[in-house]
Amino acid sequence: MDYVLHILILMSIYSIFSISLNLELGYTGLYNFGHVAFFGIGAYTSALLSIAGYPVTMSMAFGMAVAGVAGALLAVPALRLTGDYFGVATLVFAEMVRLFFLNERWLTKGPMGLPGIPRPSWIGEGVAGMPLYLLFCLVLTAVVFLLVRRVTKSPFGRALKVVREDEYVAQALGKNVFVLKIKSVTMGSVLAGLAGALWAHYISFISPGDFTLNETILVLLCVVLGGRGTNWGPVMGAFIVVFFGEAVRFLPIPAEFGRFVAPLQGMVYGIVLIAMMLKRPEGLVPEYRR
Amino acid sequence: MTYYAQLLLNGIIAGSVYALFAVGLTMVYGVFRFINFAHGELIAFGAYFVLFFIGAPFSLPLYAAVAPALTLTIIVGLTQDRFVYKPLRHRSHITLLIASIGLSFLLRNIIRLIWGSDLQTYGVALTRGVTFFGLSLTWIQIVMMATAVVFLGFLYVLLTRTMLGKSLRAVSDNMLLADIMGISMKKVGRTVWVLASIFAGTGGILMAVDTNLEPLMGLTNLIKAFAAVLLGGAGNVWGALIGGLFIGVAENLGVAFFSPGYKDFISFSIIIIMLLFKPRGIFGIAGGVR
Repeated sequence: MDYVLHILILMSIYSIFSISLNLELGYTGLYNFGHVAFFGIGAYTSALLSIAGYPVTMSMAFGMAVAGVAGALLAVPALRLTGDYFGVATLVFAEMVRLFFLNERWLTKGPMGLPGIPRPSWIGEGVAGMPLYLLFCLVLTAVVFLLVRRVTKSPFGRALKVVREDEYVAQALGKNVFVLKIKSVTMGSVLAGLAGALWAHYISFISPGDFTLNETILVLLCVVLGGRGTNWGPVMGAFIVVFFGEAVRFLPIPAEFGRFVAPLQGMVYGIVLIAMMLKRPEGLVPEYRR
Repeated sequence: MTYYAQLLLNGIIAGSVYALFAVGLTMVYGVFRFINFAHGELIAFGAYFVLFFIGAPFSLPLYAAVAPALTLTIIVGLTQDRFVYKPLRHRSHITLLIASIGLSFLLRNIIRLIWGSDLQTYGVALTRGVTFFGLSLTWIQIVMMATAVVFLGFLYVLLTRTMLGKSLRAVSDNMLLADIMGISMKKVGRTVWVLASIFAGTGGILMAVDTNLEPLMGLTNLIKAFAAVLLGGAGNVWGALIGGLFIGVAENLGVAFFSPGYKDFISFSIIIIMLLFKPRGIFGIAGGVR
């Protein structure tokens, strides 16, 4: 039962994370390959503040704000780049953020990581607090989902799609493409920061190793599998990826083969990502096109 | 003074290997116009295949293991193209990019599955270095530099003196025009993958002899290759060579000023600075930038 709760919490956190990436990748057509950086910034900021004694909800809000500012700061210069080069810049940015977590020991304790990250006081620690924490995550996921759906269905959201399809058309329509992109990245980063903070307070221990390219691949897979540029796609993708990722733990695998599990799982993720691109690049829930 | 001269020398040695990585990456970019994120895995596979051939059933000496290892690396390179990139060649750019990230993840996990995640070495006996003018050099480092010189010399002859090399340059200059003039894209494409695999694999082997092997070596070196490619201008083979040397020297001299934990920060910063201020590289060739 506790395990079901655990999976559901992870699913809901990854839903938020995927929705946030989809806002950039799916709606605006920005190939952000360093999205994990904002997840990490949200997680570290919120964890550090709450360990320092500030209320958890306030720390989380700060985590989101810092992730958002970082996103905007990265976006301003990086958005001058097009296509693949934006992808490279974001990937490199994520690695720089990880190196920062690893090396600035006075702040992050380096590779030792941060233990003992508290949950909000009204939720309670350990297994006892899991049902309430799930509720907390679900409420936030619902809020994020509805908010993003509203935003993407608004004229602003349609403008983002025009940017994705053709920047010049968007410009011709009198849209400020640059500002649209910055707004998209900033919103995406704030939401990724929220996902990161939720994750940190749930797991209660974070270290630089949690914010590598692997996590980027995982969230990319969620978005691509579900369907880029849709609202339900990333949520569905997150559910499938987390479900199958966790289901592996229940397979009757003899201990001596234990070391093969993680690489095999990684191989499956890679294969699914390639297969989706080859056979069904629009994802399981294709975008509705008029 | 000797200290800095030694750092400079170490930088040139490391840089000559980075140049081998960068040349392949930039050639693929020049011809196919996409950044192959799985290039790093060709580096790692080259190194691990040697480990395979010097291991138990074959027990080849190191120098004899190189040829079969490179052959297998070429097969990996050609297979990537045949089953992933070729079918996607005329699809949207993002599809290709995501597929190459997925492929890199798949290949990295194959390495982890077969050889495990731990650091490994070839177990080459440490040789005494040679010293001249107060600078020390190991034999392996001399071999590294010599190999780089031989390979790049070979590439120079190939590109400038042979028909194949000329058609390769023509394609990377203007693919459409080259196609119209009757240059076989198939042949050029295959040559590029073979060369990229050989150069990446050889560099990986040299790197592994000098230091060690680990599944993430591909990613780490891919980032350096990126930096070198950007410095030289994407698609420019000689630019990649000079870029590689520059990265190696900058990184090693940087150790004198920064904490070693931030060594990789130097290539990261170079990538960011180049992307922002001179995305066409210091040699500023037109084209090659999307």
